[in-house]
Amino acid sequence: MVTVRLFGMTKMMAGNQPALSLNVANGAKVKDVIAAIEAGYPHIGELIHKKKVLVSVNQEIAHEDTIVHASDEVALLPPFAGGAGHPESREGDHA
Amino acid sequence: MNSAAAGSDDLFVRVQRENFSLDQELDRVRSRSTRIGGIATFLGVARDRSRGRDVDRITFEHYEGMAQKKLREIRERALQDFDILELLIIHRYGEISIGENIVLIIAGAEHRAEAFRACQWAIDELKQITPIWKLERTPDGEVWVEEHP
Repeated sequence: MVTVRLFGMTKMMAGNQPALSLNVANGAKVKDVIAAIEAGYPHIGELIHKKKVLVSVNQEIAHEDTIVHASDEVALLPPFAGGAGHPESREGDHA
Repeated sequence: MNSAAAGSDDLFVRVQRENFSLDQELDRVRSRSTRIGGIATFLGVARDRSRGRDVDRITFEHYEGMAQKKLREIRERALQDFDILELLIIHRYGEISIGENIVLIIAGAEHRAEAFRACQWAIDELKQITPIWKLERTPDGEVWVEEHP
């Protein structure tokens, strides 16, 4: 079981729940967590695939192959208030 | 860096609900070193218009722990990469009324040029990497936005 913390628009999209408890095996990868999110919340899954929403593990941006343990702190990070998009998906169109 | 002051570093990176006093924070930076000859500040305040819509209230949400961690990283990188003597960063969270303070950056250096550069870099970097989200209340409802004040 992995707990995923939600903020901002992702929290709103999940009915204002502060976190999701997902049935993902200990030692699974971030992409497995994403698949579990997508199953219950396809709109959030879509934003993750578009890299509008990033996944963090232990307060650092994670990649699809990052391993997730049950004790890890996992969170979904919607676009920050900064406005230029996430560093990894920056499009440079919000000057 | 004066090692005697190292224990108070937490005061130089804060995410807090309450307002802050510019005078008090300027004094905090000024008192770090008598070599400081120039101080640059950036103050972000809540405006009543965003993307063509009226806004009457803003709420900031942050990721407790990660937000502080990213701000500490920004301060450490600024102290390392610019010729400055101190950098302070404060960001507020919770409900903020129009006209109120949101974010403060203060950079203290021997000379103004580096203070300005570090201050601008720090606020730009804050916007890019700090997990803080803004909810604006407009006549059309509440919207989570990506645009920073």
